[in-house]
Amino acid sequence: MRAAIEAKRAGVDVAIISKLHPTRSHSGSAEGGINAALGNATEDSPESHAFDTAKGSDYLGDQDAIEIMCREAPDDIYELEHMGAIFTRSADGKIAQRPFGAAGAPRTIYSADITGHVLIHVLYEQLIKYDIKVYEEFFATKVVVDNGQCAGVIAWDTQRGGLHAIETNHVILATGGVGRMYYGTTNAYACTGDGMSLAWNAGAPLKDMEFMQFHPTTLKSNGVLITEGCRGEGGYLRNKDGERFMAHDAPNAMELASRDVVSRAEWREIADGRGVDGCVMLDLTHLGWKKIKTRLPGSRELAMDYAGVDPIEQPIPVRPGAHYMMGGIDCDVWGETVVPGLWAAGEVACVSVHGANRLGGNSLMETIVFGRRAGQATAERVLEQGDTGARIEPAVLAEEDRRIAGILNSTEGERPGLLREELAKTMYDKAGVYRTGAVLLECQEKVHELRERSQKLLLDDHGSVFNTDLTEALELHSLLECADCLVTSALPRNESRGAHSRLDFTERDDDHWLKHTLNWNDGGQVRLDYRPVTITKYQPLARSY
Amino acid sequence: MTEVPNSHFTTLKGAYDVELMEATLKVRRYDPATKRARFDVFTVTIPTTATVLDALDEIKETRDGTLSYRKSCRMAVCGSCGMRVDGGAALACKVPMKKFVDAGHTITVSPMGNLPVIKDLVVDMTPFWDKIRAVKPYLDTTDVEVPAKEWLVNPSHGELIHKESLCIMCGCCVSECISMEEDPDFLGPAALAKAYRFVGDSRDSDTRERLRDLNGEHGIWDCTRCYFCNQRCPKNVDPRDAIAKLGAESFKEGFTGDPGAKHAKVFVDSTYKGGYLRETELVPKTIGPINAIKELPFALQLARAGKVPNPLNPHKAKDNEEVKRLWKLLETEAKGQPRRATALHPDAVQEG
Repeated sequence: MRAAIEAKRAGVDVAIISKLHPTRSHSGSAEGGINAALGNATEDSPESHAFDTAKGSDYLGDQDAIEIMCREAPDDIYELEHMGAIFTRSADGKIAQRPFGAAGAPRTIYSADITGHVLIHVLYEQLIKYDIKVYEEFFATKVVVDNGQCAGVIAWDTQRGGLHAIETNHVILATGGVGRMYYGTTNAYACTGDGMSLAWNAGAPLKDMEFMQFHPTTLKSNGVLITEGCRGEGGYLRNKDGERFMAHDAPNAMELASRDVVSRAEWREIADGRGVDGCVMLDLTHLGWKKIKTRLPGSRELAMDYAGVDPIEQPIPVRPGAHYMMGGIDCDVWGETVVPGLWAAGEVACVSVHGANRLGGNSLMETIVFGRRAGQATAERVLEQGDTGARIEPAVLAEEDRRIAGILNSTEGERPGLLREELAKTMYDKAGVYRTGAVLLECQEKVHELRERSQKLLLDDHGSVFNTDLTEALELHSLLECADCLVTSALPRNESRGAHSRLDFTERDDDHWLKHTLNWNDGGQVRLDYRPVTITKYQPLARSY
Repeated sequence: MTEVPNSHFTTLKGAYDVELMEATLKVRRYDPATKRARFDVFTVTIPTTATVLDALDEIKETRDGTLSYRKSCRMAVCGSCGMRVDGGAALACKVPMKKFVDAGHTITVSPMGNLPVIKDLVVDMTPFWDKIRAVKPYLDTTDVEVPAKEWLVNPSHGELIHKESLCIMCGCCVSECISMEEDPDFLGPAALAKAYRFVGDSRDSDTRERLRDLNGEHGIWDCTRCYFCNQRCPKNVDPRDAIAKLGAESFKEGFTGDPGAKHAKVFVDSTYKGGYLRETELVPKTIGPINAIKELPFALQLARAGKVPNPLNPHKAKDNEEVKRLWKLLETEAKGQPRRATALHPDAVQEG
């Protein structure tokens, strides 16, 4: 939406194609906030923000991109505020800022615990203001490339049925993450990596796909995230014996150590048999009902709704869950991919600013800064270049129509939902918080087997109107391709860096692995390639907090 | 490469162990191809922590893949899965199944009301969004100079529109709106809550024009105050309270011409005067004396049934001075409130 607004303002014809209504997207679930060095709470600078981000990335983030994000973030915040975003204020009327994990200053701007919700609605308001056309509930099935130039998108109209060719010289992919490839995930049902798959099949490589961030406190029943704020307010993590096990891993920071450290400690406790039904316990009972009701009402409601537990009386069972894909479509600092006319921004993209580990509050900022930049750069290109002549040939549409019809009418094979569950369990068991070469190899074999089996799917629904059986089948294919990229990238990376934690290679290895992984589509198989990391000011140091 | 003595670390023990229960649901189906509706009953095995949405997923995966419904976040923030559970709108992802199973109750799941059904539990949200669009749902600062950095906003001003900013546009309020059942063009609770989100925003410079529009046909005064929207909103937005606040703001801007506004004013004036509502004054003061004459036959019918109090000797509170003191107290308190929090309308008092 941010990209579309920028392009429209620049005077080009723009439309949004989305499989969901725009306000249903998963950015709306972001609670904590958005980082920018405004310096409203204490002194702060974009340089300090950039250093924290580079260090947090375990030095895999490209520092030119990080510097751009941190430098441009404050003005983007002011612009969001002028659009109408409702941010929490400090007593002097300025935008309030609070401390967040691994940040050198209180830098996180927020709107109570609904920051993402507020931002997604303010952007939708701007879509209405600028009268931007939205193809709502259109599922993009293919990015068409004609003579080496992007020619547009072929999309399925979910509400009415039917495949449409939407011709355009420039496509910006902003479709979000891919958490649904894991069984335990904080991500929405919609986060199935469709954009990554579209780009991969159009000839653009994916980058750093082995880096999936795990969040340490998610509910067992449905993966819903319980905010870090619970631990910030003084919550404890205990094993089945009631022990605060973080004492072994981070005797100073305890429960407030960084996400990857806490996730690994929890995983070890559970795997070693000191968990409770596959979870550890997030204990808030000592905080008292008053603090829980006033400071953590949202978390209490989630625990009651989805775990059947009132945290005032009982600890909440939690475990690590897949949360954020640091990798994504390889693109430059303007969002452009190697395919002329194909762009990307947000979680689907990998510029890369997050490297091997993302800091809380940086993902919303990334979507805004790089969304705006992609919109601006695309519009400039359109105005200077005009029509490139790339077209979606009728034969291409007809071929895609045959492919979709093939899925729609398939009557023998397996149910897409059951295959997805098998994939999700495979990934959670074999490519999770801890990894080893041998287990990753098993994972890769299984993913390849599932990709093979997914060629034959059993659909109950063969109708054209609101056929969610069909969309789930399409999503399954996206998930499987992304999972293949993830595991194939993880397998040779013989080191532990950020979210990629290998039991057989426990140290970071800058001599061999300070480089990005690229995944190319080679006839449907993943082909690996590597590229150096851009380092400007901050030389890699040991990462300790 | 290091030895891996603890390779069991790669898998979480007990990750998939869940306690199960059996649940039965009755689901309204609608097939757009045949234009026929029917009810199907399904019994599925689901975890004890499952929601209505989880139960629908289990039906779709294991019983009938043709079942259609919207879903995404499954944590009550995206607003996709609004539907009726036992006749009242709710988010399917926010309703736990266990209480129904424990009670041996079969729930009925059906699509939301006041919106056309596309297929099964999926409704066409176009009329919903058209109304959101109709209230100019974006900040208008054209008449003022925008600062270089952020606007300075008193923290308490932000709180004024906090509840309205919680709205996730799921449509549950609209589904249950009885006024919209009578008048499909009524702007309705979601759009009006959105409208208040801007009227109550100290940065917006278009307050007066917004209120003028909202006082027009199908606007705020068409709400019948049934409070179903407040009751059914899954996010505690309380749209009816937002409509009351719009009423209060309209009075302050002098928009008192609508019969609805006049109607509200009779309540205010007559309770101030006598501590009670003077019902016989209600009709003439709302729709004017001439129109009121047309209602005489109806009034006589009421009188015969003993439903009309004596207009010449209205009820009066024993200690009317106390009523007046209460009013003054409220008014003084209201003056101390920041911009647009003042309460003139009785409904808004609860909020303020």
